[in-house]
Amino acid sequence: MVSKRYVLKRLLLLVPVLFGVASLVFAILHLSPGDPARLIVGQRAPASQVEAVRESLGLNDPLYVQYVRFLLDAAQFQFGESYKVSQGNPVRQVIATRFPVTIELALYGQAIGIMLGIPLGVLSAVKQDSLTDHLTRIGALTGISVPIYWSGPLLILFFSAYLGLFPAGSRIGSTIFLPDTWTLFGKELPLTGIILLDTLLLGRLDAWLSAVHHMFLPSVTIGVYSMALISRMMRSSMLEVVRQDYIRTARAKGQGARITVLKHGFRNAFIPVITVIGIQFGTLLGGAVLTETVFGIGGVGTTLVEAISDSDYPVVQGIVLTFALLFTLVNLAVDLTYSHLDPRIQQ
Amino acid sequence: MRRVRLVVDALAAGAVVGVLVVAALIVTGETTARASELAFAIGALALGVGLLGWSGAVMAGRGIETMQDHLDASTNWTEAKSRRAMARVGGFGGGLMVGSALVEVIAYGP
Repeated sequence: MVSKRYVLKRLLLLVPVLFGVASLVFAILHLSPGDPARLIVGQRAPASQVEAVRESLGLNDPLYVQYVRFLLDAAQFQFGESYKVSQGNPVRQVIATRFPVTIELALYGQAIGIMLGIPLGVLSAVKQDSLTDHLTRIGALTGISVPIYWSGPLLILFFSAYLGLFPAGSRIGSTIFLPDTWTLFGKELPLTGIILLDTLLLGRLDAWLSAVHHMFLPSVTIGVYSMALISRMMRSSMLEVVRQDYIRTARAKGQGARITVLKHGFRNAFIPVITVIGIQFGTLLGGAVLTETVFGIGGVGTTLVEAISDSDYPVVQGIVLTFALLFTLVNLAVDLTYSHLDPRIQQ
Repeated sequence: MRRVRLVVDALAAGAVVGVLVVAALIVTGETTARASELAFAIGALALGVGLLGWSGAVMAGRGIETMQDHLDASTNWTEAKSRRAMARVGGFGGGLMVGSALVEVIAYGP
């Protein structure tokens, strides 16, 4: 059982994390060149108009005043309106529309990583120093070493351009039209933005299959990285566990190798892997941002890149802080799972 | 007490350096407002890195230590050392922000 004190301590840690990220984003944006007021009104606008926009946005206030104002707004998750990327629209709305795509990709990557990484890691440990072990280790090392901006185009080149097996460039077939809402007991409800879920909610099997077909390559691109690290970690953790006395005892008492590994070894070996899965989620979110750009899927990553080049401060701040919040919450969940499995960690 | 002193020392050092940085920037031709803005933003950068590093070390430090051990890639990095170093960086950044803001307040009023 996880103690309340431990949960509270972990929740309190979210405050410095988010405060740190907010300060970092604020500083980087204000140190980078480019005047947002000039970008909003255009290069040919008169100086008086630029000045009026600067005044209305509060950009003429001293930086410490802007900083405190930004922190107070961010604490309420208020980032104002987008300057350029989605001009005039609230940042919260921009994030809500585009965030599901990124989350979806990161989740698929994580799922592929867990589903393949864990069995491969166990297999590699059980068959230590065999050909299977060597191949798995080489695969894991390659997966960790190859960056997404390289593996993504390679997969597109091979599976899409050369073999023509998978499409690259969108989340669903171009001929498929999806409405904005779905109906539940006669009531119109908005869709989630997560394409595999939405197609199911709409009861469209053709659309669902098309979405799976389209999302396969981008998901594998980030999934390979995740799989590599998880299998490497699972292998070393499993090797350590199978050398323990209680495993030897179980074997000496006549229990089969498979049962011993799965029943006694797996649970204990899995504990350190959980931490890796949590730490990795942030990397996967970053990977999803890159993958979206490589595969031309319009999610929060594409928006972030656009917002940075347009000096759209509110959008950049909003997206980065949302990422940070999500990352810390996932880490919190992982931490709680970890301490549930191994209560010693709470002390 | 030692922990508080560690941060307060860094904060004081940052404040002094903040004033000096603003003065140096003014000497190189920047206006007081711009010089203080730059110093403040650099301070915020250090504060952000420090806070993030500190909380990251507290939150995931033990996990990282374990992971390094498991991967046979153990270095001398420890959660405790990282926490202390990051507290210093964050404190220094905060001091820099306070120092530069003070110069601006003195020059232009609050």
